[in-house]
Amino acid sequence: MSKKMLVIGIALFIILSIGMAPTVHGVDFSKKTIKWIIPFKVGGGSDVWSRLYAPFFRKYLPGHPAVVIKNMPGGGSIIGGNYFDRKVKANGLTVFGSSGSTTFPYLLGVREVKYDFSRYYLVFASPFGGVAYINPKFGAKSVQDLKGFKEKLAYASQGATSLDIVPLLAFEMLGLDVKAVFGYKGRGAGRVAFEQGEADIDYQTSSAYIKNVRPLIKQGAAIPLMTWGVLDEKNKVVRDPMEPDLPCFPEAYEMIHGKRPSGQAWEAWKAFFTAGFAVQKGMWLPEKTKKDIVETYRTAAAKIIADPEFKVVVQKSLGGYKQLPGEQGRKAFEQVLKVPPESKVWLYGWLKDRYDVTVK
Amino acid sequence: MEIALQSLRIILEPSHFLMLISGVLLGLAIGILPGLGGIVGMTILLPVIYGMDPHDAFALLIGMVAVIPTSDTFPSVMMGIPGSSGSQATIMDGYPLAKKGQAARALSAAFTASLFGGLFGAAVLTAVIPIARPIVLSFGSPELFMLALLGMSMVGVLSGNRPIKGVLAGGLGLMIGALGAAPALPEYRYYFGIDYLMDGIPLVIIGLGLFAFPEIIDLLIKGKAISEAPTLGKGWLQGVKDAISHKLIILRCSVIGVIVGFLPGLGGTVVDWISYGHVIQTTRDRENFGKGDIRGVLAPESSNNAKEGGGLIPTLLFGIPGSGSMAVFLGGLLILGIQPGPSMVSEDIGLLYTAIWSLALANVFGAGLCIMLSKPITRLTIIPFTYIAPFMILILTLASYQATRSWGDLIALLIMGILGWVMKQYGWPRPAALIGYVLSDNLETYLFISVQRYGIAWITRKGVIILALIIAISMVLSILWKTKKKPTTKLVYDSDKQAS
Repeated sequence: MSKKMLVIGIALFIILSIGMAPTVHGVDFSKKTIKWIIPFKVGGGSDVWSRLYAPFFRKYLPGHPAVVIKNMPGGGSIIGGNYFDRKVKANGLTVFGSSGSTTFPYLLGVREVKYDFSRYYLVFASPFGGVAYINPKFGAKSVQDLKGFKEKLAYASQGATSLDIVPLLAFEMLGLDVKAVFGYKGRGAGRVAFEQGEADIDYQTSSAYIKNVRPLIKQGAAIPLMTWGVLDEKNKVVRDPMEPDLPCFPEAYEMIHGKRPSGQAWEAWKAFFTAGFAVQKGMWLPEKTKKDIVETYRTAAAKIIADPEFKVVVQKSLGGYKQLPGEQGRKAFEQVLKVPPESKVWLYGWLKDRYDVTVK
Repeated sequence: MEIALQSLRIILEPSHFLMLISGVLLGLAIGILPGLGGIVGMTILLPVIYGMDPHDAFALLIGMVAVIPTSDTFPSVMMGIPGSSGSQATIMDGYPLAKKGQAARALSAAFTASLFGGLFGAAVLTAVIPIARPIVLSFGSPELFMLALLGMSMVGVLSGNRPIKGVLAGGLGLMIGALGAAPALPEYRYYFGIDYLMDGIPLVIIGLGLFAFPEIIDLLIKGKAISEAPTLGKGWLQGVKDAISHKLIILRCSVIGVIVGFLPGLGGTVVDWISYGHVIQTTRDRENFGKGDIRGVLAPESSNNAKEGGGLIPTLLFGIPGSGSMAVFLGGLLILGIQPGPSMVSEDIGLLYTAIWSLALANVFGAGLCIMLSKPITRLTIIPFTYIAPFMILILTLASYQATRSWGDLIALLIMGILGWVMKQYGWPRPAALIGYVLSDNLETYLFISVQRYGIAWITRKGVIILALIIAISMVLSILWKTKKKPTTKLVYDSDKQAS
């Protein structure tokens, strides 16, 4: 009896191992450690994001390697990005996590940036959304009421070359007279400034908006205006599913100007919106990584995103946005790589005129 | 109230309680190791809490962070090396006491003060929750600038009889703080193309360089044990008595600790200096400060434990961290799927009470364990320092390397260490330089914001005027109360006899 069992067991084992082998594509990470470089401090948004993903990569990468986060903060993530470009071997054991703050200096052509996203392989990307709102004392009940609005509004900003390019450019395109006050450390500080009356107009990422701004709206202390939107499959900016009752920015533009947005400003906005929100964070493999390794990673990412357990994580901690595996993420990121040069030139001019900032 | 008791029951369940104790043990270990503080502790725990029950995670994280300011007193008092950034001021009087062979007394006084400060912080946290939001909101950028200025005004009292050197050292600190990324403009200052300098020199390195490094060199030159007296003395009860007889100082400094921790952006790193300066300012017989006055130990130790309770308020209610370790804690909250905000006092109130109980219980256990540990640890002070020095240098180097994990850390430590030693040799007040360094970012940022937002009118705000008056009064008082310099005697003062 037991002999029979043993034979069946061996047979099953052989069948299973034959059955399993082809799906591994020869890539196996058993007993290996994968290092995930995060160019930010421990506890920041990108760090949290990577730590939420890391255990699932262990689960789904062949051989169940240990996945460790290596924080390499400095120079607003430029130092970690340059390290990834220059020092990392293309053996699939080191990956890089980028955020909007990594992509922006790249897009702006900041001198210190040595990394180039057109040369790497995107494993997956994570979108984040933003919601803008205004102090009710100005009388606007919705974004429509901002047509022809003349009053000066203060906005608490982290800096003219930070993610704030997206809201500042959006306000500008809507014809608002917004004065950016620089020096705030993060969106939380910006929200407190809004509550203090130090700022008149503000935006928050969706999850912070839901927890912190919706109560203000209920009390009548804030009026929601618009979301930045999300990208659909055709890379069109559409309404944010987290706040579907609010218009997205292109709709808001149309409400005020009576036509769809177009031109240099719009192209620039779309590129920075994509880099800063629609594909804010991404996991990258270095240049010259073998195709089968890239495929292994992308397959693992697709499996993670489909995992019901991970869906709960996305809902609870990643703003609930649809994560973009492999090809989907890459297609969306094309918006960032293919910004028309004249749009960039236009943006340089705008930054110089408005904020006296010279990036190039 | 019911929810509070329910949270207490949850936390006293064996599994949660185990978490709390684990956190406390880790926190004590990190506190004792020089240079390592809450940020390192949080970083160690962050990967662990993934998927944990939030109550467990809170017990672990808060248990850890609550006791660091308790145990970090050991290296500060016994070796003159800051155990973490919160106990730098403890060195000023704690270390001279250890040299006199009164380490036991200084430690027990410090732990008693820590215990009280920590419990006070937890109590204030409970009481203030309903009114915390409007209070935090009443401090705009101009008020925060004035508070930073108030901190800066302590440079005077901390410089003793060398006011000019103090001001210059403070200026030097401000300049060191200005290295690297500008707080409000997309510019990097004075980084000379060196990647390491793009974010300035980390606080850990400044603290260890200015305070620990010179002390080690001097002890090695002398080649003796730390304690100049041959015995340890039996000061345990004396320390507790000291704490009781100076209960008002402990209370005042706990209040300072809570307020500084409470206000976002001010950061807890100067709270020990502010309360130390405050005690000197409000004392008439101050000639013993810096030479081993027990009040100089009680003040920073009560405030640095109290600040942890205060620091949880902006973190949990606004999602803006008051200090470096709270910034990592905030990341931990997001990993747990908790978005901080006003709902912490409604939907998640149970968690908030878990935080408060963890804070209170951790302080009790932390202080208890420290007292138990101190007897063997104080023996270190009678061992010839040449045996301890290699070990200390190793720890110092490791702790510095934790800052950014690049070679630059070690080079910066060496340069800062030499600077600190030179300053010590020539009598330049190092606390002044440290305060300048820590506050430079706040001063610049809040002034920049105030002027951009309000123009010159920021000066006329009510809060600004009140704070300006407080600064003026405290400076005038500290000058008026300054006793004429007495001819210095070589005699060792027993400071608490004078105080009572």
